[in-house]
Amino acid sequence: MGLELSMPILVVDDYQTMVRIIRNLLKQLGFEEVDDASDGTAALARLKARKYGLVISDWNMEPMTGYELLRHVRADETLRTTPFIMVTAESKTENVIAAKKAGVNNYIVKPFNAATLKAKIEAVCGS
Amino acid sequence: MRAPPAGRPRRKAKILIQEEIVPTAVRRQAAPRFREPVPTALVAELIEIADYITHMREAIAALRPNEMSRARIPMAHEELGSVVAATAGATNTIMEAAEAMLGLPDGPGYRAGVEARINTIFEACAFQDITGQRIAKVVEALQLFEGRLGRFVGAVKARDAADIDPAEQARRDRAQDLLLNGPQAVTETPSQDDIDALFA
Repeated sequence: MGLELSMPILVVDDYQTMVRIIRNLLKQLGFEEVDDASDGTAALARLKARKYGLVISDWNMEPMTGYELLRHVRADETLRTTPFIMVTAESKTENVIAAKKAGVNNYIVKPFNAATLKAKIEAVCGS
Repeated sequence: MRAPPAGRPRRKAKILIQEEIVPTAVRRQAAPRFREPVPTALVAELIEIADYITHMREAIAALRPNEMSRARIPMAHEELGSVVAATAGATNTIMEAAEAMLGLPDGPGYRAGVEARINTIFEACAFQDITGQRIAKVVEALQLFEGRLGRFVGAVKARDAADIDPAEQARRDRAQDLLLNGPQAVTETPSQDDIDALFA
């Protein structure tokens, strides 16, 4: 697979059920170091406190959305290279294009399956 | 100005003008002036206004707004809240059972352990029947409201105001700026392959 399974991953979602689903899928893939945050503001605080190998974020959250979080991450010198996957129900093409322009590495539309998540993580983080 | 509905008795409108639109004190004070003939056009206009007000009151009453605000809308809130709670509860139960299965040790009790958790999952899935019925009640209330509102709009020939509530405008602006479109209709949602093509 070529993935660094010990890398910390930050899951950002305001629905704890979705956090739990992603945590379990990541665990099945072999990732043990998984933190979570319930919106972009909380995620930024975590990102500044610890170096993460990947951010998996929802889009629609309050008060800071995943799209805003992405733009903050890409604007921050210390965070800008952090791989970022959007996992969201926002499925309009304009959302995908906007996220791509803002620097997202990959985009998954909910509902998704384990194979899709695995493939995207490999595409973004695989050596 | 809307023309009085056909067949409506004019006498009713005249009574309204005298008893409700023109206060008694004003009528008394103005009485000497009314001894002279009142212009027919003015009387006709006042009758039209009175008819329109009567018609508007009937249209509003037909909306049954008190029933809507006291019973139907609170019921819809409560039912949808129950749906959210039941869905979350069932999801939690299913996930706990699945996580427990993943943690089961190999051995002679493995099959029995899996079967017990699967039964728990089957039971939890029963929430769908109840939530379906709750949602059906909300849909029925919405259809009723839609029908009454449609008849009201037609009856009073209502038009939308140009301005909207500032809080609603702020919500719309934020949604537009941050592309908060929400899930699309199933037929309009691009596939994961379509999205992947944008990253190719």
